Amino acid sequence: MKIETKKGVTPEIKKISINQVIDFLLNNALFILMGIAIIYIAISNENFLKWPSIINIVSQTAAYLPAALGIAGCIVLAGTDLSAGRMVGLSACISASLLQAVNSGNKMWPQIGTLPIWLVIIIVMLVCAIIGSFNGFFIAKFKVHPFIVTLGTQLILYSVLLLYVQQGTNRGMAISNLDKGYATFVKGSLPFMKIANVPIPNYVIFALIITAIIWFIWNKTTFGKNMFALGSNEEAAKVSGVNVFRTTILVFALAGAMYGFTGFIEGARIGSNTANTGLNYELDAIAACVIGGVSFVGGIGKIRGVIIGVLMLRLIFIGLQMMSVDQNLQYLIKGGIILFACALDMRKYLVKK
Amino acid sequence: MKKLLTASLITTMAIGLFTGCSTGEENPNEGGLKVGVFYYNFSDIYISTVRSNMDDMLNDLGMDFQNYDAAGNQATQMDQINTAIANQVDLLIVNSVEISSMDIADVAKAANLPIIFFNREVTDDVILSYDNSAYIGTSSSEAGQLQGAMIGQYLVDNFDSVDLNKDGKISYVLFKGQEGNVEADGRTKYSVEDSNVILKAAGLPELEFYDVKNSSKYLVDQGGNWSAQAATDYMNVILAEYSEANNNMIELVIANNDGMAEGAISSLQNVGFNTGSGKTIPVYGVDATDSAKQLIKEGKMTGTVMQDAQAMASAVVLLAENIKNGEDLMANTDSYNVDETVDKIRVPYSIYSGN
Repeated sequence: MKIETKKGVTPEIKKISINQVIDFLLNNALFILMGIAIIYIAISNENFLKWPSIINIVSQTAAYLPAALGIAGCIVLAGTDLSAGRMVGLSACISASLLQAVNSGNKMWPQIGTLPIWLVIIIVMLVCAIIGSFNGFFIAKFKVHPFIVTLGTQLILYSVLLLYVQQGTNRGMAISNLDKGYATFVKGSLPFMKIANVPIPNYVIFALIITAIIWFIWNKTTFGKNMFALGSNEEAAKVSGVNVFRTTILVFALAGAMYGFTGFIEGARIGSNTANTGLNYELDAIAACVIGGVSFVGGIGKIRGVIIGVLMLRLIFIGLQMMSVDQNLQYLIKGGIILFACALDMRKYLVKK
Repeated sequence: MKKLLTASLITTMAIGLFTGCSTGEENPNEGGLKVGVFYYNFSDIYISTVRSNMDDMLNDLGMDFQNYDAAGNQATQMDQINTAIANQVDLLIVNSVEISSMDIADVAKAANLPIIFFNREVTDDVILSYDNSAYIGTSSSEAGQLQGAMIGQYLVDNFDSVDLNKDGKISYVLFKGQEGNVEADGRTKYSVEDSNVILKAAGLPELEFYDVKNSSKYLVDQGGNWSAQAATDYMNVILAEYSEANNNMIELVIANNDGMAEGAISSLQNVGFNTGSGKTIPVYGVDATDSAKQLIKEGKMTGTVMQDAQAMASAVVLLAENIKNGEDLMANTDSYNVDETVDKIRVPYSIYSGN
């Protein structure tokens, strides 16, 4: 999984053939494209590279990053996770309902006050990790393809969500009017976290911490090595003593915990949560991963790639908006770029075969 | 050589992607007000009508505006609004996805921008929390009441012909657009209640939901999208079980919007009903979209409640014009029906049955 970076680098000082230049260009096409895009958008709209806008891009990237990091693990196992969006929704609704303002007119659970924030984070991450390990259990035990298993859980979770928002005094309404402490914890910012007087929201810091943890797990632990071994060749991994059953469950549980955390952030970031919160998050997350070179073939992927993928998607979203591209055409462009980026990326692996 | 070709092709394509499509409603008028208009979903038929009306009006005023599609997702809408603020807009016009989203008002307040909500009703405290905000919409109970009045009157006039199996009762089905939406709740409740009141007054029995075991007495679009497709799917299932042959045919269809009414009609047409001639089940919607009006004209649909897209758009544009002229947001609104305690303008509904 690490070979492809070496390839583009110019070898020694000999003559550089035209083929090598082209290889270099194609292998780094994503960065080049991103560069062209940024320059072009910045030229057509000067606001794009002003601080408020840059911080907006960074914040949006940070908000979508944890879920993408979670799903990346599932893709490394040559799987996928369609239940991610619904888990984000469930976690957002649970977080919001447990952290509504005490004086809220439509408090969902009037009998309990506002719980401590750390407890709620643990609750939602745990709930989603359990759902994730349920996914993993089905996949590992019954050898059902993750696409099918998580399609099943996605539907089941929607029912759970629909039922949950009707509990207590809520009766299907949006869960809003959140506790100030919760909103500030997520959306507020530390006094010194300011650039040009624009505050950087706390969830950017959380995303940094999460990224560091996941990087460590992927690269420095046995579990991480096992995950990649299992993703590239299950038989070989089994023979060399990797516990397939446990690794699969753990990967999906870790992914679940990430969705749980994303839901916790989204709950406060959106501020109004319904059964539809989180809908289709998995599609954006999967798109981000494949754009960033986490391959559906399995066993291939880097944290760096996931970050670039999420950033790229956000750049498309924000850039098109800032260039005043007709919204009717935006889906076309987004789709085109996803296809284009992935075709380019696959090319690297095809060449090797 | 081949690679060179690929590379150059790819580069041109990439540049083309970014350059070729910059066709938005950019207005060269530099002095104009920069406006962001945020729609909850481009795929909503009624909202599209409002959008095309509003596009024309804003263009006429020379405003520099841009439309956004949240595609039914509040998170997307928040991201769009934040990006628009970073892009230095002067005014936000928001058709919010979630009805109680205090956050949109908070964001506008923090950026010190005037904000106009429309169509999807936000709660009173959202408007009250920020001086420079207003809401333009309809009264959530009115559409259902008008629909109920229309249905009640029609049944009183045509009871025997509507009662296909002559059991002395009208069995109906009701399609609800979304759970937890004030408009959908109001329409669902009042359409049946108000027609029952009229039926009772005329000495006729109340409406009866076709499936006695269904205690909620409606079928809801589970995606919350008020979609024709959901109504068609439901109706196909119903019509497989309920038919004239079984002497239990559905005798009345009430839908929360015209899209769902049309969905039901397309399914009815599969079994030979509502084709314009011959057997017709009365079908009612809300919105009076162009396609629904056409169906009513052709005798395939019975009635709808007109939500006046043009009046809605012109009220929104009036407030935008106030901001442009440096006036108070709620100036010049004397001729409108405004709530007493909060800055909410109510655009009236009216009945549409083909006249």
